[in-house]
Amino acid sequence: MPDSGAGALEELLQFLYLTPVGIVKFAADGAIGLINPMASQLLLPLVPNVALDNLYKSLAPLVPNLRGLVDRFTAKAGAVLEEPRLETRVGGARQVLSLTVTRVNDTVYMAILENVTKLAEQQQEIFADQQRFRAIFDNVRDYAIYTVSLTGVVEEWNRSLQRVGGWEAADVLGHKFAMFFSEADRTASRPAALLTAARKSGSIAAEGWRMKRDGSRFWGDTVITSLPDEMGAVRAFVVVVRDMTLRKRMEDELRLLSTVDPLTGAFNRRHGHARLAEALDRRARSGRPVAVMMLDIDLFKNINDTYGHERGDAVLCALVLTCKATLRTVDMLARWGGEEFVVMLPDTGEKEAMVVAERIRAAMAATPVPADGQGEIAFTVSIGVAVPVTPDVEDVLARADRALYAAKTGGRNRVVLAVAA
Amino acid sequence: MTITFSQPGLLDSLEAQDAAALDVLAFGVIGMTLDGVVTHYNAAESRLAGLLPSNVIGRHFFSAVAPCTNNFLVAHRFETEPTIDDTIDYVFTLRMKPTSVRLRLLKQAGRTHMFLAVERR
Repeated sequence: MPDSGAGALEELLQFLYLTPVGIVKFAADGAIGLINPMASQLLLPLVPNVALDNLYKSLAPLVPNLRGLVDRFTAKAGAVLEEPRLETRVGGARQVLSLTVTRVNDTVYMAILENVTKLAEQQQEIFADQQRFRAIFDNVRDYAIYTVSLTGVVEEWNRSLQRVGGWEAADVLGHKFAMFFSEADRTASRPAALLTAARKSGSIAAEGWRMKRDGSRFWGDTVITSLPDEMGAVRAFVVVVRDMTLRKRMEDELRLLSTVDPLTGAFNRRHGHARLAEALDRRARSGRPVAVMMLDIDLFKNINDTYGHERGDAVLCALVLTCKATLRTVDMLARWGGEEFVVMLPDTGEKEAMVVAERIRAAMAATPVPADGQGEIAFTVSIGVAVPVTPDVEDVLARADRALYAAKTGGRNRVVLAVAA
Repeated sequence: MTITFSQPGLLDSLEAQDAAALDVLAFGVIGMTLDGVVTHYNAAESRLAGLLPSNVIGRHFFSAVAPCTNNFLVAHRFETEPTIDDTIDYVFTLRMKPTSVRLRLLKQAGRTHMFLAVERR
């Protein structure tokens, strides 16, 4: 094959022509011996119209002191210069080059040039992203943001953890994130269950008590989101915790406001009705007894007329205090309207209910309210007691009301048990 | 009539020649489609670069044959300017030796081919 030598040479030439990295062989004085097209593609725009015979001249805009560096290089061989990022503008566009200059021996030097503009742009984007996230982590208020491994180990610390929970880096790094949950949640393996759920469905949210470093707790809304890697496999989780203590407190207050009679602190009629309905449902399902009392202050209009409305209000409050002192915490007292109250006694039969009612009646008669200036306001109550026979709230209330009416017409300051039907 | 590197109307003259006629020219000629695929590669250019026309024709010139021209001085002008007839001093890395050349960039709106003429300085 007479052509094989030339063919092989041409293949080699083509290989060097197309090498995507710039390679220059040059002498100590900068004279270029060999240079491939990629090197010239990158060098020519730096100093246009130069003959490209001396590397120092061509690189002057980027590394003005390259000749000096080579002159002062004392090792027999090795890297004279390693510049991973040399910024320049070419034809109006930003270009980033990496340059390595190596001494092969005292007469042969090699320069490797690469266009790393794209890489530099990617790194810049990643850096910018990191800065953005850092800014978010460090400056959000009322949120803590951190990442945990597949097994729930905290992988990074940032200022948000300090701000929301007072946690320092040493407290959390390498520790299980379960430490941020209440003991009850930890005992119930709730943190691990949340990770499993987040892994399955991508994201999970849960409200509950979260721990601060000083052992105090706050009401937190925790959102856990799985972090897939570029292949789509879950490698970690990001956890965002929002301090909801203020909102929780406001909700609790609102709930209280919407269920409580503002004057006496007893429950209001709406809430009392709902609780009664629940209790009757429970009784229908489980057969556990429940008793209902309807209670009314005797001749309340006289008290108002004689002592004024303000004293009348004081009597209402005294009634509630006395009742609460007599009743258990499971019992429910609601102001039904005016001077009328309803008491619900769970797990209580007819006989015990009559005992409780009589105790309340006696306590009221024995506890007068101070009048303005001097004297006391003595007052009594009449009570109708009924136990339900159906789950119908209105039915048991109507029967208790009839028993109350009977107590009133029977002379007041007494307790009457409703007849069965 | 001999065709010369610097004559006026060079694009018209080159377009009228067949491969054999281009081969007798003293300067290098590369003909390309408008998207840069080599269609003509004459003998003078082949000698300078050390590449056979059969290995070059059909390839993309700026990225796969002569990457040293793939910058804003040469390739970018062919890609963005509709009509060019400009001669510039340039350096080719022929056989990895920096070689000073003059390049004549030829392109005209409406034509199907553009040309790069190469003459050693």
